[in-house]
Amino acid sequence: MDDSPQTFRATVERHQARVFSIAYRIVGERGTAEEVAQDVFLELYRQLKRLESEDHVTAWLRRVACHRATDALRRRAARVDTAGVAYEDGMELRAAAPGFLPLMNRVEQLLMTLPPAQRSVVLLRYQEDMEAEDIALEMGMPLATVRSHLQRAVKLLREKAQRSLKEYCRG
Amino acid sequence: MVEPIDDFERDLREQLTARDAPEGFADRVMARVAERHEARQRRWWWLRQPVWGWAAATALAAVVAVSAGRQHEIQQRRQGEEARAQVMLALRITGTTLRDVERKINNPAGAQRRAGNRDQKED
Repeated sequence: MDDSPQTFRATVERHQARVFSIAYRIVGERGTAEEVAQDVFLELYRQLKRLESEDHVTAWLRRVACHRATDALRRRAARVDTAGVAYEDGMELRAAAPGFLPLMNRVEQLLMTLPPAQRSVVLLRYQEDMEAEDIALEMGMPLATVRSHLQRAVKLLREKAQRSLKEYCRG
Repeated sequence: MVEPIDDFERDLREQLTARDAPEGFADRVMARVAERHEARQRRWWWLRQPVWGWAAATALAAVVAVSAGRQHEIQQRRQGEEARAQVMLALRITGTTLRDVERKINNPAGAQRRAGNRDQKED
């Protein structure tokens, strides 16, 4: 692929929402998400000559964004250790706050309570609209693992959503 | 295989549409790309200095000169060896001729016979 500044800028503009959303929904914090997304595009700039098509670029960006965001999450978890758990619990509590946050934020916050591997798979399935087979190929995971992550994640999200709705009605 | 989806999954898909990147995101990425490009250029600036061009030209000239000198030396040695071989051959011929003449002087009949035998062998 062409790595001239004009073409690269167009590529960034075309994919920035996708990459930022993946990073944000995995790390759960805008500043870190932007940092991760910028790093992903810098890495893309270095690798651009090796990528053959627009589809290849899209698949590469999804994969690297998931991995980099998960790494950032692990680094943060290693830094704060137990604070990571508190953060997730906090997200869930805020998600249950009655009528305070719009639904989109609530879904994103519920997503933050999932383990990172499940988060990535859910994002690729529902944000990127990919089939389980394609996710398995793109992430280099066995298909059975992808399916099991999806089933568990959707079940958990459903339960959490119902719980928060009940709490909302009660409150 | 396309998996069937229920209402909850449909909601998930609707709620998880891509968010807009923060304002000025592309500008910041391009600034970091330019910064990295400049840093890389600064790191290799010494390689683009004219002194390296001169150094390369001098090294090339030295290699050519040494190579030509060596070639000349080889050629001279070969010519010397050829001349030496020619001198040795001439000396051998002269020696044989002198020995024949000496025999003829000392023993003309025997020398004539030996000369005859030699002519027959040559025929």
